[in-house]
Amino acid sequence: MTQQPIIRFDNVSKRYNDDTTVLSNISFEMERGKFYTLLGPSGCGKTTILRLIAGFIEPSSGEIQFNGKKINEVPPNERQVNTVFQDYALFPHLNVFENVAFGLRIKKIKQAEVKRRVEEALRFVNLQGYENREISEMSGGQRQRVAIARAIVNDPEIILLDEPLSALDLKLRTEMQYELRELQQRLGKTFIFVTHDQEEALAMSDEIFVMNAGEIVQSGTPIDIYDEPINRFVADFIGESNIVDGVMIRDHLVRFAGKEFECVDAGLDTNEKIEVVIRPEDLEITSPERGKLIVTVDTQLFRGVHYELSTYDRDGNEWLVHSTRKAQVGDEIGLDFDPEAIHVMRLNESEEDFDRRLESYEVPDHAE
Amino acid sequence: MGKQSNAQKLFLALVFIILYAPIFFLIFYSFNSNGTMSSFESFTWEHYAAVFDDTRLIMIVLNTVIVALLSALISTAIGVLGALAIVYLKNRKLRNTLLSLNNVLIVSPDVIIGASFLILFTAVGVRLGFASVLISHIAFSVPIVVLMVLPKLLEMSDSLIDAARDLGASGRDVLTRVIIPYIKPGIFAGFFLALTYSLDDFAVTFFVTGNGFSTLSVEIYSMARAGISLTINALSGLIFIVTIGLVLVYYALNRRNRTPVTGVKK
Repeated sequence: MTQQPIIRFDNVSKRYNDDTTVLSNISFEMERGKFYTLLGPSGCGKTTILRLIAGFIEPSSGEIQFNGKKINEVPPNERQVNTVFQDYALFPHLNVFENVAFGLRIKKIKQAEVKRRVEEALRFVNLQGYENREISEMSGGQRQRVAIARAIVNDPEIILLDEPLSALDLKLRTEMQYELRELQQRLGKTFIFVTHDQEEALAMSDEIFVMNAGEIVQSGTPIDIYDEPINRFVADFIGESNIVDGVMIRDHLVRFAGKEFECVDAGLDTNEKIEVVIRPEDLEITSPERGKLIVTVDTQLFRGVHYELSTYDRDGNEWLVHSTRKAQVGDEIGLDFDPEAIHVMRLNESEEDFDRRLESYEVPDHAE
Repeated sequence: MGKQSNAQKLFLALVFIILYAPIFFLIFYSFNSNGTMSSFESFTWEHYAAVFDDTRLIMIVLNTVIVALLSALISTAIGVLGALAIVYLKNRKLRNTLLSLNNVLIVSPDVIIGASFLILFTAVGVRLGFASVLISHIAFSVPIVVLMVLPKLLEMSDSLIDAARDLGASGRDVLTRVIIPYIKPGIFAGFFLALTYSLDDFAVTFFVTGNGFSTLSVEIYSMARAGISLTINALSGLIFIVTIGLVLVYYALNRRNRTPVTGVKK
């Protein structure tokens, strides 16, 4: 990679009052013009990273670089970064135009240019004609757009979004996901998006940083993270998953649920204890004779696009199945799946080791 | 609101009659040519003429207004800064202590404030008069302003300040472009409350005023002690009318401020 990263965290930690650690030794890089998502449960430190980049707080240790320059102590008003806040933080005493114009007014830009740029920004978020509205007259979705316009009008290098969709209803939220993604591609700016909603993260991001307890657990494209979760936490947090304990017999052969199965994972120790993930949509309903697993249907829910079946095998492991085919509660059915559907997770594997191991056997696999 | 029963209406009417009766009684007799408040003889303006002829009384009214305006202005400035300091204090313990000290000053009796100021001024050697009255009025108005401004400041979300900083605002910009406009209603409320407290203060002023300087409330008190004079009634009538005028202006201003928000309907 020849391009300089726009943001670089080098062993950054953040502690409050010297005892509560919010971030511990975080290191990562972000490239210009991509859509990044920081994903994790509440309290995992994702908003702290955002506030560190915005400059509202300073790291306790480590270094934050912006375009290769250390910015640890640069105050927020001197950073080329703008934020869309969770509660939008629009100024109630100013109308829509003046809210968007706020940053330009601070920079003492001439009225004609302010007008041109504010109108352009409002057009970008489909709010032309709303210039003279008061904030109190705008709906939640409209306020959201004003907040985005107020950030992009300043032409920042990075736009930070702090769970901006969490206050919207489901339909509007889905719409805004498309719009945000499109906006980011049109502007070509770096977006850093914070959310606890895995669907948002999967739908919009170029790259996702999955966080837990002040650490980045895994980073990668949505597909990588969904298909190859590094551990139980990520597998559980992103999408639904069936996770069972197992043993790696040798390369490409794994034992779980009392049987041996062919798989694509390799590079593990012989007889190593592992965990196996199979996504519910990778399990196919078939007759008990033809199934690799034989399970009993416990409950069945209609989810619209598919049925969600909760089933149990003879060892008592629960298997969640997503299928367009219906089954009968109480029936014994067979479950079939491909060797590729089995994903093996090592216990306590670091992200570097995980990536190295994946590369060692996955590259030829992809090249086929 | 639901419908009120007749009993409720009667009760409300009674309360207002009892509250306003003494004032109207007083104003009624200000037009009495008899010179007493026992029997109404005939209508006259002479007591009102007497008020305007009395240049000393006019001077006292002016003094009262000047002290009220000045003390309200200065205490608003100090009170706003004080409220800002209290809200943005990092030390929670110190903040609560300051807040409690502020509230103690509001509930403590005027007599005690007045007496302690008298002792202070004589000890330090401040001559009693305009300055001593002004200083003491500022002193009892500051806590009121703090109390009016504080809720507005507390209600303001921290993210507004973050947003302003994020958009490039310096500390000064944040104060003048975000915080002050946001708490403006609180500032105005504090100013007007300080103004009225100063205008009608008797107890504190009574202690700290000196020879040659007096305010309306103290003057009316001494006039009343000297014996019944319908000039007092006329003066009270005038003050009452001015007060009603101020209330109307206040409502008009309030309504004008609110129109942009409800203005969508037109």
